[in-house]
Amino acid sequence: MVDDEDFPSSSDVEELEDADFYLSDHDDDIAENVLQDLEDGRQEDCNWSVSSVITKESLLAAQKDDLRKIMELLALSEQHARTLLIHYRWDVERVFELLEQKGKDRLFSEAGLTIYQNKTIDLSSYSDPFTCSICFEDVSSVAITEMDCGHCYCNSCWTEYFIVKINDGQSRRIRCMDPKCNAACDEAIVRSLVNARHPNIADRFERFLLESYIEDNNKVKWCPSVPHCGNAIRVVGDIYCEVECTCGMQFCFSCLSEAHSPCSCIMWEYWRKKCHDESETVNWITVNTKPCPKCHKPVEKNGGCNLVACICGQAFCWLCGAATGRDHTWSTISGHSCGRFKEDQSKRIECARRDLYRYMHYHNRYKAHTDSLKQESNLKETIQGKITISENKESRIKDYSWVINGLNRLFRSRRVLSYSYPFAYYMFGDELFKDEMSQGERDLKQNLFEDQQQQLESNVEKLSMFLEKDFQDFSDEEVMENMKHVINLSSIIDRLCKQMYQCIENDLLYPLQRATHNIAPYKSKGPEKASELSVCWVSNQMRSTKSMVDALPPHVSSAGGTTVAAAKRSWQFHGSSSLDESASSNKLLKKNESKGGGPPLFDLNMPAEVVDKS
Amino acid sequence: MLDKSRVQRELMDCNRDKEISGVSISLHDGADLTHLCGTIAGPVGTPYEGGTFLIDIQLLSDYPFEPPKMQFVTRVWHPNISSQNGAICLDILKDQWSPALTLKTALLSLQALLSAPAPDDPQDAVVAQQASLHPFLPFLSFHLSLYIRDYRKFAGTARHWTETFAKTATLGIDEKVHKLVEMGFPQDLARTVLETVNGDENAALEKLCSG
Repeated sequence: MVDDEDFPSSSDVEELEDADFYLSDHDDDIAENVLQDLEDGRQEDCNWSVSSVITKESLLAAQKDDLRKIMELLALSEQHARTLLIHYRWDVERVFELLEQKGKDRLFSEAGLTIYQNKTIDLSSYSDPFTCSICFEDVSSVAITEMDCGHCYCNSCWTEYFIVKINDGQSRRIRCMDPKCNAACDEAIVRSLVNARHPNIADRFERFLLESYIEDNNKVKWCPSVPHCGNAIRVVGDIYCEVECTCGMQFCFSCLSEAHSPCSCIMWEYWRKKCHDESETVNWITVNTKPCPKCHKPVEKNGGCNLVACICGQAFCWLCGAATGRDHTWSTISGHSCGRFKEDQSKRIECARRDLYRYMHYHNRYKAHTDSLKQESNLKETIQGKITISENKESRIKDYSWVINGLNRLFRSRRVLSYSYPFAYYMFGDELFKDEMSQGERDLKQNLFEDQQQQLESNVEKLSMFLEKDFQDFSDEEVMENMKHVINLSSIIDRLCKQMYQCIENDLLYPLQRATHNIAPYKSKGPEKASELSVCWVSNQMRSTKSMVDALPPHVSSAGGTTVAAAKRSWQFHGSSSLDESASSNKLLKKNESKGGGPPLFDLNMPAEVVDKS
Repeated sequence: MLDKSRVQRELMDCNRDKEISGVSISLHDGADLTHLCGTIAGPVGTPYEGGTFLIDIQLLSDYPFEPPKMQFVTRVWHPNISSQNGAICLDILKDQWSPALTLKTALLSLQALLSAPAPDDPQDAVVAQQASLHPFLPFLSFHLSLYIRDYRKFAGTARHWTETFAKTATLGIDEKVHKLVEMGFPQDLARTVLETVNGDENAALEKLCSG
């Protein structure tokens, strides 16, 4: 650490010497600039999906963010906004659209939301005692509850019903008990009734509501890590992207399997199945064996004439597969003739044979690169060792970051390369795109693609070679030479990858007529690392927060002059019961503040003029 | 815990007007309220007319907050009822169940299902194929001859099954014993065997013949 900090200041002297020494300094600058330019350009191209990590702690904040938008627009209470969003899968934009198209009333009724503007709960209109039509018991009018939809049953039946629904995992939207009623039960009533009898089930209810933001949401998905890290990822923009969770898991956001670009999700699913199931074994059996006419086991001919004998003892003719006697000469089997040529069968065998070879070709290369990638990940440690040796030896070269950069480039491009083989297998095969292209067109495109793939491949191999050199034993000149190669190759490879993706997206996938295949865009630095969610006001105790929302503390309105965010925070922490919880929240907030954060959040519970002032 | 008072109340309510509604419920074995037996009279004007259909009803401990489990005991030829095991395909017995519904309303729904098959949501594929060519579906009119033939086939089978399975069961046990005695079996044996197979005449006959 100290060394690192010392290095820049002490390098003043060295720098002069270095400048003399780095004959190719200028070239490297260019290479670096090119690299930088490429990356900048890509940033513009591909940054249309932004991912963020939602942890257990920030889940509430993330949910509230969306809730607030709806509450603001439709002047709803939080629980009604949640009911609405659960129904419309947390798609705020869609709710806005539907509001335009259908109007408020239909928007609400389809979600099972009934809202009376000036609803006064008048239970006195019910007779006392009231006969509940579920349990047929007579109950006092203080022990009954009427939902917004106007249906009234006794509290004990409601509670029982809610508990059954929660235990079934169906509590994100509980319908009214009336058979024809489509209304959703008010979550506040559910909460209070269930909590009175089974607080732990009420907690589960809270969790289900909270997790609805992940479960019922197309733009948020659980991280697929095993064991599960507890995080979810939210993507804004294009959902065809690859992300990295803070737990280190890299995955395709769209299909949740490993990052597989430039394969589309469908291609990858097919490929994975193909590699796992026995379809190719079956193909081999078709081509190379015939079933015994007696026991039906596949029999492979291991030499000799056309009379083959199965291990079960049955003899049969290898040409037609029919059972025969054992009496034969080299050219005929007595009592048997099958000279007729069956064109269909031989064609089928030919096809199976060709398919098998084709698959083997792509699979071998895919596997070769995946295996190389695995071996090269061991390289990282070896190289780290070499760097340490080099840094400690008498040399003017102190900066070895180029090795690590080169290595990362190698990993990145290896991945691209290995997944480009299953891509090519499906792109130019009959499985997915049989009728998409004429044979001529297909050949042309295949050549175009394979040229690029081969170019990339040869450069990747070269880079691998230079990185594996024992540069710690080199003279300074040799190290310089090696460095030059690594840097140049890295930049070339990055460019080639980019070009290959352009070719895939523009020339291969875009013209498809019948199918849409989306791939995650190429990112020079690999899958995007999901950032921590920037809205950070934290409370695990949703209930305490909720009650805060419902009953706004009086001091907020007096906070008039301060910023909205600050006001909001103050009432947030006011509600926190546990000390370290507020402490941790404070820390997060500070972090957030120092970052500058996004646009200010508006608090609906603030009077409009306060919001305006700030 | 099963709400016993509600179930008892339901039984009373249901059986009070069973002559008019055509549905009734009785206890299956002994006093256990979790296992009941429902009967439905085949609706008039349908191939099920004149038949009496037995329904096995099981109540889970969460009843009425969970739907009752119902299954036809009497074999019936209907697109929404399995011809193999009597399983029923009806939304109110699944996700559309509401605690405000009762066993009686469920049985009445089953009765309604018998008069209006819904081949779009079939439990029994073979039956559904026949019944989908129901004469009330006007858009199929260009296939007139075909669907009349198939609907007739469906109705014919349904009627035959009603005759075979849903009517014998309505005979009193004495009549059945009498029939078996006429076939030449001793009266006591016939009665005991009939009782062990819950009054199923065919099953009793099989049992008697196999010794």
